[in-house]
Amino acid sequence: MTVTRRNFTALATALAFGAPFCALSRAVRAKDNASPDAARDVLSLGGSVTEIVVALGQQHRLRARDTTSTYPPEIQSLPDVGYLRALSPEGVLSVGASLILAEADAGPPEAIEVIRAADLRFVEVPEATSAAGILRKIEVVGEALGVPDRARALAAEVAGALAAALADAERPDGTKKRVMFVLSTQGGKITASGTGTAADAIIRMAGGVNAITGFEGYKQITDEAVGLAAPDVILMMDRGGGAAVADDALFSMPAIRLTPAGQTRSVVRMDGLLMLGFGPRTAQAVRQLNAALYGTEG
Amino acid sequence: MAVMTEIGAPPRDRLSRARALHWALAAALVLAGLVSLEIGAADVRFSTILARLARGEALGQMERIVLFDIRLPRLALGILVGAALAVSGATMQGLFRNPLADPGIVGVGAGAGLGAILAIVLGAFLPVWAVALAGNQLVPVAAFLGGWGSTLLLYRVSTRRGQTSVATMLLAGIALGALAGALSGILVYLADDRQLRDLTFWGLGSLAGASWAKVMAAGPLIVIAMVAAMTLGRGLNALALGEATAAQVGVDVQRMKSVAILAVAAATGAAVAVSGGIGFIGMVVPHLLRIASGPDHRALLPNAALLGAILLVLADVVARLVIAPAELPIGIVTAVMGAPVFLWILLRRRGITIA
Amino acid sequence: MSLIAEDIRVRFGRRDALGGVSLTARPGEVTAIVGPNGSGKSTLLGALAGTLPFSGRVRLNGRAIGAMKPWELAAERAVLPQSCQLAFPFTVIEVVRIGLQAGTAGDRAEVPMQALARVGLAHCADRPFQDLSGGEAQRVMLARVLAQVWNPVQDGRPRWLLLDEPVSSLDIAHQLQVMEIARDFARAGGGVVTVMHDLNLTALFCDRVAVLAGGRRLALGRPGDVLCDEILSRAYGCTMRVSAPPLGGVPYVLPHSACL
Repeated sequence: MTVTRRNFTALATALAFGAPFCALSRAVRAKDNASPDAARDVLSLGGSVTEIVVALGQQHRLRARDTTSTYPPEIQSLPDVGYLRALSPEGVLSVGASLILAEADAGPPEAIEVIRAADLRFVEVPEATSAAGILRKIEVVGEALGVPDRARALAAEVAGALAAALADAERPDGTKKRVMFVLSTQGGKITASGTGTAADAIIRMAGGVNAITGFEGYKQITDEAVGLAAPDVILMMDRGGGAAVADDALFSMPAIRLTPAGQTRSVVRMDGLLMLGFGPRTAQAVRQLNAALYGTEG
Repeated sequence: MAVMTEIGAPPRDRLSRARALHWALAAALVLAGLVSLEIGAADVRFSTILARLARGEALGQMERIVLFDIRLPRLALGILVGAALAVSGATMQGLFRNPLADPGIVGVGAGAGLGAILAIVLGAFLPVWAVALAGNQLVPVAAFLGGWGSTLLLYRVSTRRGQTSVATMLLAGIALGALAGALSGILVYLADDRQLRDLTFWGLGSLAGASWAKVMAAGPLIVIAMVAAMTLGRGLNALALGEATAAQVGVDVQRMKSVAILAVAAATGAAVAVSGGIGFIGMVVPHLLRIASGPDHRALLPNAALLGAILLVLADVVARLVIAPAELPIGIVTAVMGAPVFLWILLRRRGITIA
Repeated sequence: MSLIAEDIRVRFGRRDALGGVSLTARPGEVTAIVGPNGSGKSTLLGALAGTLPFSGRVRLNGRAIGAMKPWELAAERAVLPQSCQLAFPFTVIEVVRIGLQAGTAGDRAEVPMQALARVGLAHCADRPFQDLSGGEAQRVMLARVLAQVWNPVQDGRPRWLLLDEPVSSLDIAHQLQVMEIARDFARAGGGVVTVMHDLNLTALFCDRVAVLAGGRRLALGRPGDVLCDEILSRAYGCTMRVSAPPLGGVPYVLPHSACL
């Protein structure tokens, strides 16, 4: 495709007003390279959904992904349409997928509304924070991709692994550790998970107790609330969300220092997508977290 | 009398030059609009579509959606918001007699933001009839009220006997911004997950959520504010000499101030409600125009509307192309363009009241 | 058709700035207000201009100024402030045109240039106002005020110039020039009320003089009657002698001797 004269004039005008010309022309060229490929028909929005697509052996059909889709690492070479919750409708439509698989978080609503109106299949994959929810996700994705048999096989495999992991992780109530999931410590303020979140679910599945039960969702909490919660272990993501705080910095925070976790310098860091994604790898996440909490016998 | 011989060539008339600029800017806005319709992440070209329409061919669904549901409302919203921000800036600078006043910098944007957040979070508690009555105007109107309140407060705090202290204004702006931020934080704590998602997106400053519904929501307030602001030219010129002198040359100063504050609040509020916080347009645009064609508000205000629209439309083109198919929040683009200009103004301001 | 102030009182906080001052200024005359610092000169002018809140009555050409709209007042009188800070980089001619914006000289586009020429600054029309010296800026402001009430008499009604220390930052030549402009305006049928610091210029150019002290009027009359040892000594709080040359050969220069 060549740059038309009109296009050139338009770009020149943009230049005259100080717009970065290079960026524009690069963007236009980059688009030219994306030759249509009939076999690649799927845009996957959401890390767990992308994982399921790959687990179903349908990786070859992926055309593009969103920023949260980071596993397996190979798929990171696919075009990125931006952050799941701040999608641009034209960017999403521009990749030319005929099927869009989207986690329930995808937004903003205005963008989703426009995308749904387009001539393509838009499948919303329900949110999950439980084993049953993961199986339902696999079923929906398999159905949408036209591979229900593979989906049944994967679901059975995942269900088995999950059941085994949950059984191994289960332990008597009195011996469960109190775990506080910290989303961020930005500006010295702790944002922690209450109930009803993926973090709350994975803590319980891995044989722990969520130390924070006073509210739903992720919220900033006071130092005193942290002390009151008395967590035995701090759980954090080891990538993204501004969570790469060195242990020293974490345990020097006044709120954390006086907790049992602070006394024993107990912190567990896990990959965010693995821990909170609730996709095919959740059994692995349960085992990994359980081992980190209670030692390797898990 | 001897001095009469001094009248030589008539003085060059910056006002007529500034008015000639209307046409140049209008033409540039049309061009910017065409650029905005022509290029985007999707391989849909306005020029191609026009050619096909001319041949009487039907459009594909993709072309229809990209052009009519994505790029056109986005262009319309960009024009409205850009014009609103630039005219708010010019009006506010005239009112405060200071080229550094900007709704975003002095906390009016934060006040409008607080109003919008109130509407989003507490909208659920309003009686049904009130929500139905306000319809899609609820958030813009709430943002307008928030912006109005903070503008009034700011003016009261920073103006004594018609003289505005810049230091007080900027400090009061910081305090107002912090207060609005704190109250917003409390509301965010009350918000549920769905509302939080709205807020996160909205706070970024973006035209990505453009839709005809948003154009309809913000359009009326912005248009009314623009019309009102355009009547202020003479009065703001006189106000450059101070409130007392403005009154002595025949300006109804109290009335003009009220109109100016209402217009700023309405335009800023509506713009913030539909596009979040987009900074620096309100300060950079009037400044560039004063350099180009002088400070006469009769020409400055309409020119600011045009140049603000042009800059925001082009900034949006950049925002959606740089990392296509993903896009940058436009607030980042305008900040990158505007913050250096702000510093430049600070460095070279001289002969300007810095009481 | 005069400017009549009756029993003007102005309070700043708890302090009485003016305690019941009356003054009648007639068209065709230059009326001066003199007095020591803090005597209420500028306050009285502010009340006459309708800029300050006051109690009492001010009638301008037969109408109470409290009942007049800002633009009606602007059509009958123009006010030169003591100092003025300009926001934004307007040029000199644009500042003068702001005076015209009140619309009293209609759309007579030539008036601002004529007003600038009148104060001898036509060659500065395109310069940024902010680049002017203090004296030049004061004369540009006078040009703006002149442009606002360009015709001393309009429709048979006198127009008024209210000047607050119009020569405070000028050299002697320009002091004389500005005072002549004020006197010419009065000779052409307009009225001028001006706050004055310089008693010699007052004696030279003004037809009537009001002497204020402590917010009260001590005297009102012709310069020859009012500018006497007794009144001035009382007003300024120190012994003063009128028309007494300095002793011992100290040189003295009076504006009377200057010639433009």
